[in-house]
Amino acid sequence: MGKKTSDQAGLDRRGFLTGVAVAGGAGLSGPAQAQSNQTRMAQAQTAPAPAARPKAPLPTAAQTAAENETPAHVEALTTEKTGSDFMVDVCKTLNIDFLASCPGSTFRALQESFINYGQNKKPEWLTCLHEEVSVGMAHGYAKVAGKPMAAMLHGTVGTQHAAMGIYNAYCDRVPMILFTASAGPVEDRRPGVEWMHSVQDGAATVRDFIKWDDYPWSLQSFAESTVRGYALACAEPPGPILITADGKLQESELSKQEEAKLRIPKLTRGTQTVGDPAALKEAAKMLVAAENPVILVDRYARSQQGVDDLVRLAELLQAPVVDKQSRMNFPSQHYLYQNARGGVLVAQADCILSLEPVDLFGQLNRVRDQIERTWRSTSKPTAKVISLSTHDLLMKANYQDFQRYSAADLAITADAQATMPYLIEAVEREIGDRKSAFAARGQKMRDAQKAFAARAHADGALGWDSSPISGARMFAELWNQVKNEDWAFMSPNNYSGNWQHRLWPIEKHYQFIGNSGGSGVGYEPVAALGAALAHREVGGRLPIAIVGDGNFNMAPSVMWTAAHHKIPFLMIIQNNRAYHQEVMHIQRMANRHNRGIESGVIGTEITNPNIDYAGLARSYGAVGIGPISDPKELGEAIKKGVAAVKAGEPVLIDVIMQPRG
Amino acid sequence: MKIFAITLLAGLSLCANSALAQQAAAPAGDIENGKKHYTTDGCYQCHGTLGNGAALTGPKLANTELPFDAFLMQLRHPANDMPPYEAKIISDKTVADIYAYMKSLPKSPDAKSLPLLTGMGVK
Repeated sequence: MGKKTSDQAGLDRRGFLTGVAVAGGAGLSGPAQAQSNQTRMAQAQTAPAPAARPKAPLPTAAQTAAENETPAHVEALTTEKTGSDFMVDVCKTLNIDFLASCPGSTFRALQESFINYGQNKKPEWLTCLHEEVSVGMAHGYAKVAGKPMAAMLHGTVGTQHAAMGIYNAYCDRVPMILFTASAGPVEDRRPGVEWMHSVQDGAATVRDFIKWDDYPWSLQSFAESTVRGYALACAEPPGPILITADGKLQESELSKQEEAKLRIPKLTRGTQTVGDPAALKEAAKMLVAAENPVILVDRYARSQQGVDDLVRLAELLQAPVVDKQSRMNFPSQHYLYQNARGGVLVAQADCILSLEPVDLFGQLNRVRDQIERTWRSTSKPTAKVISLSTHDLLMKANYQDFQRYSAADLAITADAQATMPYLIEAVEREIGDRKSAFAARGQKMRDAQKAFAARAHADGALGWDSSPISGARMFAELWNQVKNEDWAFMSPNNYSGNWQHRLWPIEKHYQFIGNSGGSGVGYEPVAALGAALAHREVGGRLPIAIVGDGNFNMAPSVMWTAAHHKIPFLMIIQNNRAYHQEVMHIQRMANRHNRGIESGVIGTEITNPNIDYAGLARSYGAVGIGPISDPKELGEAIKKGVAAVKAGEPVLIDVIMQPRG
Repeated sequence: MKIFAITLLAGLSLCANSALAQQAAAPAGDIENGKKHYTTDGCYQCHGTLGNGAALTGPKLANTELPFDAFLMQLRHPANDMPPYEAKIISDKTVADIYAYMKSLPKSPDAKSLPLLTGMGVK
């Protein structure tokens, strides 16, 4: 028995190791567990006979590791509340309606908390198939909703994917709340991927083009930084902010005792900066005294109030408005909307008021695109320039979106929309007996405006029946189908021949959302997706996006997100089968080098094979129509598309169009 | 991605005025060859496939009223931002062919006959 006991003791030793291995293996992944079991089975089959009492074999690496692991009975496998739950509590105080994201393991706890603990409401989690879509969606949404939404970006790789979209939003001065994550302290990281997706300073990738960021190292810090970030994002000039949610903070248990110590600060949004009264009085004097004033407006209106106030100022002065269209600033069919004569008006002006210029130098000067670049002023040397802008309040050194330096005669650093009522008051005080002179000026503008439509109609008749279809024909067919709807454009008109502004009555602020800001290609479909979401929340609107084929190819998966989340819109692909802007650049270089341009389409055309955009849309679960190359078929195609949008579907119509509208 | 804000029309008009006094008859051009070169030489990229023009890139060329001399001068020494086309790239003969093709294109319809167009923007 004694021998048997001794042998049994030896077996018990093996048994103990095996037991630990099994218990410890409970935490292993499937493949690792299987390997561990196989090792033990192999050892059992090759075990020596007990009677021989061989030398004990050295423990395997798996056995050694298992022996050193925490026994199962002392390991916490579940918990009721984590730091990520508290992070959700913080976000819920900010009244954020939507959070867009492409999945990423660095924020797995936070995602689970949003959708379960937070019940997937305020914010609702939206699934995107690329981080550039998430960010671009937030970009378009904010421009229509007038408030930010959030986007969640995977650590390192997700932020890298998102970078261009963030740059667009920064250049366009649009607020958004961005979150990224990192896997936590080194001793907690699993080998491999968690290291790849961890970063000391996650915001560094995008810090040059965001407004503020933080990597909070406590939950209290997370609360304060997220609330602070939200307020900063919205303060004029607005912009993206980024918070890094540490993995350890997300996944660690939050005890009731710890939670009781946490406080979520209230959100207080600061008032916007307003121009000082003395400067406004001086500006009013200059404007009232001018014989030929002109108002240049760019990234100005963020709401209908801004539009209405600018109409009041322009009518008060009977001054023409030239709209650079970074926002919907002024009604396009108002008699003082004088874009068609913009160059002449600037050249003749004796006083120029520039509201939120993106590029004051570019408004007043021209640079020729030639080997020897030359520039000249497009305004009179004696013209007085007043700028009213937040331009100088958000400027960084590296990226050059601040444009060339140009000094105004009177530079008022303030938010132009917030200041506008005070400028109007100042003008009213100065106007005196100038009203009759202003009335005569206004009549000239009315006369000029009448000619604009006739000219637009004459231009629109050119190539009316052409195939590829002309821009004028496409917009006319579109108008015919949506004129009785509450339509809204969600795309810029850089490449559409400007037909929206030439002939459509764009009167409401939400009917046009301006351009990308940073000219990062891919903005059009993603911003349209976000804008359409904001329109859906209001209800009753028909959102329309005219999207270039090159732009669409950067993010075709918007159609899936729209179908999945039931975001209706009408997207017309302005399909010229090329990155056409670049075709013209290469053509310019080939001509400059005297080499002929026959090869200029290499690397710029999107042909051979042609892409089936309607089929692509259908594959994502959206409605796809086209390609339409016969202008006579276009009206019916749009009619079908509009009906589907009104039924709640995202719709893509592929229209083969002229290289330029 | 800068937009070419080509305001070629003004330049063409200036050229036309100066050239009218010494207007010479346009050489006979080969319309078919002009049509081919209008595409291969990239004219359509800025001026539309039927010479219809585009607001931001280039004016209408179909049925141009410019005399040939002015048309040629604009190609060789462009006003504004149009890329130059020297004789090494397009011979005078080819320019004459393109000119003939532009002159041969059917006239655009009168806008007044297009209610869909004139109704744009009108409810």
